[in-house]
Amino acid sequence: MQIQLRNVVPDFIELEKRKNSNVWAQNIIIHKGEHLHIVAPSGSGKTSLIHFLYGLRTDYDGTIFYDDTDIKKLSTESFSSFRQHKISIIFQDLQLFDDLTAKENIEIKRILDPFHEPGVIEEMAKKLGIGTKLNQLVKTCSYGEKQRIAIIRSLMQPFDFLLLDEPYSHLDEVNRKRAMNLIYEECEKRNAAMVFVDLKPLDFLKGEKIIYL
Amino acid sequence: MALSYKKIEPLIISGKNIFSKWFGYFGLGIGVLLLLVSLQMFINIQQLLKENSPRKSGYDFISISKTITNENMGQDNRFTNADLINLKKQPGIDGAAPLISNQFRVKATAGDIVPFNTDLFLESIDNDFIDTLPPGFTWQPGQVMVPIILSSDFLEIYNVFAPAQGLPQLSAKTISSVNIILECSGPLGMQNFKGNIIALSDRINSLLVPKTFMNWSNLRFSGDTAVRASRVYIKTKDANDPKLISYLDQQNYHLNKDKVKFSRIKSILQNIVSALGVFGILVIMLALMLFSFYLQLMIAKSKDNLRLLLTLGYSPKWLAKSVAKTWLPVYLFIIIIALIITEAFHLWFLQFSFVSNANLSYFLHWSVWLTAILLLGLTVFINSRLVKKELNRIM
Repeated sequence: MQIQLRNVVPDFIELEKRKNSNVWAQNIIIHKGEHLHIVAPSGSGKTSLIHFLYGLRTDYDGTIFYDDTDIKKLSTESFSSFRQHKISIIFQDLQLFDDLTAKENIEIKRILDPFHEPGVIEEMAKKLGIGTKLNQLVKTCSYGEKQRIAIIRSLMQPFDFLLLDEPYSHLDEVNRKRAMNLIYEECEKRNAAMVFVDLKPLDFLKGEKIIYL
Repeated sequence: MALSYKKIEPLIISGKNIFSKWFGYFGLGIGVLLLLVSLQMFINIQQLLKENSPRKSGYDFISISKTITNENMGQDNRFTNADLINLKKQPGIDGAAPLISNQFRVKATAGDIVPFNTDLFLESIDNDFIDTLPPGFTWQPGQVMVPIILSSDFLEIYNVFAPAQGLPQLSAKTISSVNIILECSGPLGMQNFKGNIIALSDRINSLLVPKTFMNWSNLRFSGDTAVRASRVYIKTKDANDPKLISYLDQQNYHLNKDKVKFSRIKSILQNIVSALGVFGILVIMLALMLFSFYLQLMIAKSKDNLRLLLTLGYSPKWLAKSVAKTWLPVYLFIIIIALIITEAFHLWFLQFSFVSNANLSYFLHWSVWLTAILLLGLTVFINSRLVKKELNRIM
């Protein structure tokens, strides 16, 4: 699978920002296994781009293709299939169920199309330093802990593309590195592409193609 | 591995709003029960009254005569051939037959067993109109024995006054052994015949003889062959047809309402149970509406959770199906309970019904079962449609 952006321009973007962008109104193809790091200041449309790619919003001109399929033409039912097997995401606002425990949140994603056995949840949680938080209700966790829960949840399924929207904003450097290593490891297992958006280039990223939005 | 709905159920179904949920269940139960009971009772009444009504091959037979008023009193109020032709032309009337009476004098004596002596009248009608027609109800010239069909009402009247007159009371069976001597006389001569009652009629209040005998004897004793009848029987599919009744009223025809009482009773009872059934349907509709409000409210409350599940990749079709399926066991339970109570009502009806009838089954009629299954299908279908619609709205 590959994702292609053809002349994609958000409806709300100003002409000035559009002119200086390396993404808007450009032709970009993202292949499997590729690591793409998109950098931009606040308000440039980073989250919008991730939402466009995941099919949550359609307020843009141009076309986004999953292989040869224009995703604007996909039904919610077809999207559910892509989201189960082909594309995973870590939202900036995390999108967790507050009234469930950390483990239940992760399990809800895992059972859709299990890539890992249930035991892997504990392993990953330990790696990211939230091993003791699994049975805690999400609403009682800190934002940093929630971010790590969202990261583990995104890695429970098979995928060709992993979309990350400022996933480390509330993590200290040690935890950032741990999380980044886990994500690299999981992407390698699947030979998956990674589309990572953040405010500035991260120093520990290696071999990424950096694009300024 | 099949995806389990159990894990996400708490995200969708909250324990709140239980009042509207239980009220919906209760209403649905009452409505289903009313519908099933009224359907079974409708069928029971239909079957019971079919046995007891004066219907023959699905028709009602009603006797009509011209109304005698002060104005037409003293005139010839008998039906003419033209009257009969007009009657037969009317929509709703499938046949008309006059009761032809004797135009000569008939005197009856019953010999030694029942020592009585009386003037008598005889009538004849088309065989099609007779409810109890035995094979021996025929007569040919030269035959001394004349078969008679007697009105069962007449036998009843006879048994009422017989003891006071010193006459023996007769059962329906013994009446056939009474030999009646019919002395027929008129301007053209006289002759004796032996009358034999071979059947009783619930429909026709008369002493019926075969038409062949009546035609032959009218000609033989009075020389009169014209058809003039005071009473005419009409054959109709529905004796309660307002158009028919209105036509008969216009023509000043008097209707023997007593003979259609079964049709009327049946009609009234069936109207009552039909009304009960319609009420049942209304209650079901209200209950389903109430339940759908509960569903809408529930989905509205769990809107954010449902949206997130869809975002994570849950299939909208699977979600709609799973949510709708949640209530299947409850619906099944409600309908089974309603069927059990309906069966109890049915058994009670069989035990205490005013007419005992061995032909009614102890089990519920198949149409009641079919209705129950259709109701189950309908409730699941409506739920699933509603859930799908609500999910589409939040996507």
